[in-house]
Amino acid sequence: MITLFAHAGGLIGRSDLPIPEWLFGWAAAMVLVISFVALAILWPEPKLEGDRWRPLPGGRVVGSRVVEIVCGAIGIGLLGVVIYTGLQGTQSPAANFAPTFVYVIFWIGLVPASVLFGDIFRAFNPWRALGRAVGWAAGRVVRSGLPAPLTYPERLGHWPAAAGVFAFAVLELVRSGGDQPDTVAIAALVYSAITFVAMALYGVEAWSARGEAFSVYFNLFSRISVFETRDRVLGVRPPLAGLAHLHAGAGTAALLAVMIGSVTFDGAGEAPIWTGASPDMTRFFGDLGLAPQPAFELTFLIGLIAAILLVAGLYRLGVLGARSVGGGFSAQQLSRAFVHSLVPIALAYVMAHYLTYLLFRGQAIVFLASDPLGDGSDLFGTASTQIDYGVIGSTATWYWQVAFVVAGHAAGLTLAHDRALALYDDAKLAVRSQYWMLAVMVAFTSLALWLLSQANT
Amino acid sequence: MYFAHAGHWLTSIAYFIPVIAFLVWLGVTQIKDRRDRKQG
Repeated sequence: MITLFAHAGGLIGRSDLPIPEWLFGWAAAMVLVISFVALAILWPEPKLEGDRWRPLPGGRVVGSRVVEIVCGAIGIGLLGVVIYTGLQGTQSPAANFAPTFVYVIFWIGLVPASVLFGDIFRAFNPWRALGRAVGWAAGRVVRSGLPAPLTYPERLGHWPAAAGVFAFAVLELVRSGGDQPDTVAIAALVYSAITFVAMALYGVEAWSARGEAFSVYFNLFSRISVFETRDRVLGVRPPLAGLAHLHAGAGTAALLAVMIGSVTFDGAGEAPIWTGASPDMTRFFGDLGLAPQPAFELTFLIGLIAAILLVAGLYRLGVLGARSVGGGFSAQQLSRAFVHSLVPIALAYVMAHYLTYLLFRGQAIVFLASDPLGDGSDLFGTASTQIDYGVIGSTATWYWQVAFVVAGHAAGLTLAHDRALALYDDAKLAVRSQYWMLAVMVAFTSLALWLLSQANT
Repeated sequence: MYFAHAGHWLTSIAYFIPVIAFLVWLGVTQIKDRRDRKQG
């Protein structure tokens, strides 16, 4: 992909590491094996399954209706700015507010923010805020009350969210000109229309919790956080405990595969294996009669789907391996039981791959806020600021990336170990089932570090 | 062509040696367990 907002991992090069990069991969695998042994010895009982949430002093203020209304209004305002600037501003992606805000601040920036502060997107979610406001207003107008929404079908589970995240990845990584401001604005309008129809059918809260792609996406990351709001009260819980209470169902594993697979594809896009093969594939589709652009897009779509299937296949392998040790669980039961352990891995992939992108390109929002249309205006006096590429060095970036990858996979291992202890009656069987999950974690770690190394090839 | 780029793909393979090693160990353990179960 040749657009500004794709393949962002290669924004930096590095040259002065004390050992070869691949040796970091070996060291990371060793850390995971040692962590596994330490967990088996020092973590003999499940610790994350119980409910240890407690309210914070002042938690009622943060979770109050006033704060919710203000945050919702800000979210609606930002959605409006994205649509307006996308349609009315310059069509240069780098000079328009909409692409940078959507692809950098929203899509990537909200991930660490959700981990640090909890499910903040729920408060700022413009679709939820609008849906609730319309529902409230309609309830006042229609005296007899609104008809009850349909029951959200259990078989749908997280499939709509998986489809939504996949569609976003296609727009970002496959579609030629997916970072064009008007394309971003139209995509936001289409997504809004679909969301409002779904909310009207299944109810605002049910759709936000299960079907709405961005709500589900950011909620998954927020479950790593120590902060959680319950019944309008902000409280704290042990880190990762929110994931142990995730209601995994149909489509949850697919959603995680899309989340990790799309980053994998974005990273692999810079690897010689892909840069060597993709022109041949595009030529092949061209020979079949496709025009250059559809041939190019079809090639990238196949690459994206292959990356997602690779991730799904690795996880499936781990699940089938865990089933083979016994315990009487079906593959579906095990898949749903352990899928929450993939969330920290998804976080590791996002943070490691997009770290420099977020730190560098994210700064552009300062001057784009002053000149959102790219017409030379200076609303806040920051239009002349520039991106500081010295904010992080290349070697420091690599160390941070390795740290994210190792920490994310160690967290995934911890979650899987805790769940295994709760699931299996026999502690020995629980540990043995986790050999396979450890294999999955080592595979994802090696893949992540290899992808990062490819960005510098 | 492939040999000219050997340095590159050998480095790529080096990343996945821990995975291969782990899978080999896992396979051996699995076979040994099955054999023990059959005998015991």
